[in-house]
Amino acid sequence: MTQTKLIEMRNVRKAFRFFTLEDLSLDLEPGQIMGFVGPNGAGKSTTIHLMTGLLTPDAGEIRVLGHAMPEAQALAKRDIGFVSDQMRLFGHATFGWHMKFVSSIYPGWDAQYAKTLVKRFNLRPEQNVRSLSSGEHVKAVLLLALARRPRLLILDEPTSGLDPVARHELLTEFMDVLRHEDRSILFSSHNTVDVERISDRITFIDRGRMVDSSDKEDFLERWRRVQLQLPAGATLPDLPHIVSRVDDGQFVTITTNRYSEDLLAFLGNGVRQVQRMSLEEIFVANVMYHRELRGQ
Amino acid sequence: MNMLARKLIERDFYLNRWLIGGSTLAGIAGLIIAAEGAMRFNIGMLLWLTAIVAFSAMLVMFSVSTERKERALQFVLSLPLSSGDYVRIKVLGLLLCFLVPWSLLTAGAIGLVLVMPNLPDGLLPFAVLLCGFMLANFSVVLSGALHNAADGFTTFLMIVHNTSITLFIFLVGAMPSLHEHLRSPVPVWNSTFWTVLAIELATLVVTLSLPYFVAARRRDFI
Repeated sequence: MTQTKLIEMRNVRKAFRFFTLEDLSLDLEPGQIMGFVGPNGAGKSTTIHLMTGLLTPDAGEIRVLGHAMPEAQALAKRDIGFVSDQMRLFGHATFGWHMKFVSSIYPGWDAQYAKTLVKRFNLRPEQNVRSLSSGEHVKAVLLLALARRPRLLILDEPTSGLDPVARHELLTEFMDVLRHEDRSILFSSHNTVDVERISDRITFIDRGRMVDSSDKEDFLERWRRVQLQLPAGATLPDLPHIVSRVDDGQFVTITTNRYSEDLLAFLGNGVRQVQRMSLEEIFVANVMYHRELRGQ
Repeated sequence: MNMLARKLIERDFYLNRWLIGGSTLAGIAGLIIAAEGAMRFNIGMLLWLTAIVAFSAMLVMFSVSTERKERALQFVLSLPLSSGDYVRIKVLGLLLCFLVPWSLLTAGAIGLVLVMPNLPDGLLPFAVLLCGFMLANFSVVLSGALHNAADGFTTFLMIVHNTSITLFIFLVGAMPSLHEHLRSPVPVWNSTFWTVLAIELATLVVTLSLPYFVAARRRDFI
């Protein structure tokens, strides 16, 4: 394995009684923001818990920031900022106490930056954590992670418990913060809209298996929905890279994951419409296609 | 002890400061009431006993079970430590938290027996054993909660914890070789006393070591 990658997972397997994460390989390059997308129960949190050393893989190899996990997790976590929707601060302490606590542990804590974020996130250090709203709590945890200036940020569905307004607000602020930063991020979510806003690379996971991984722009360029009208009596030949096909009399709608001008030329005059697909549509089509391939 | 361990232990003290202070004050109040004479002795000692028992149960419940249940554990585990470090620091931190009121209240109870003229010094061995039992009992509950933080198991632990004190008072207090010296004017440190004390110390050592070998080596921590 190379040392330049911030996250390297090779053929990782983790089995539970009713769920198995199978043969997962994943890389995160420096400076990359990876959206890790999957439906509920796909294995996103399991993967992240493996990355952060909270779970031990049954097979495979995991290195984070060059450290073998989970053995060297204490070393690796010096440079990881981990935020999860499952994570809660101590309810009986103020947010200010948390900042003091975390700053005393991390020598790289940037007090000035923390102060800026407190203002930007509209948080009050004297406020007891128990009285924070869900949105404020996520912002508080995020601030504690960001002000450490970690080399790697791992965000496990940080926006999942928020209402649409709070989510939008948080992501806007988050993107604003990231615009001035040079750090690698793994952002897991089942919400493709969130992921599309901040990621430059996307990995899809479903039922414990990685479905696809590519640059965001590559996904958006490769995937198209094409509507065709066939002449009476004509049939569409089998084509490569077609992930779904819906027949409605003379009309056929195909979804391809390798759209090109050549395909368009091959389909000829029958093409009625070529639609770009949103990341959500790509995600759903991708997942359904792979489930079909696996006979699930 | 490294800096992170010290910070986490300080955190346990900070988050449990009201519990530590409140229990200590309640226990001291019990000792003061008990010192007011034979009539109030039982009420005062009951308050003293309740303060220590309730403190040990709540300390474990808030610092282990609730920390896990309310998902603050994930925050702690995001810090630069391994799950093994967490267990080791937790055992040490909570033991120190418990020792503050326990040692003060144990010293107070022993002082009370020695100072009060109408209390026979023969009570001293039993008082020492009772305090030793409460320390060992705390270590059992702490170890149990670190091994299994499920709600049902925690409830079971608390029931065992509370009942065992009553059982100890009835069973150990009724042992003839201890019972017959309770009203004696001088303390009798006989072999029964040393045997029971040795069992308590062994329980303490075993239960406090167990998390280092089992919970700290767990492959999956959440």
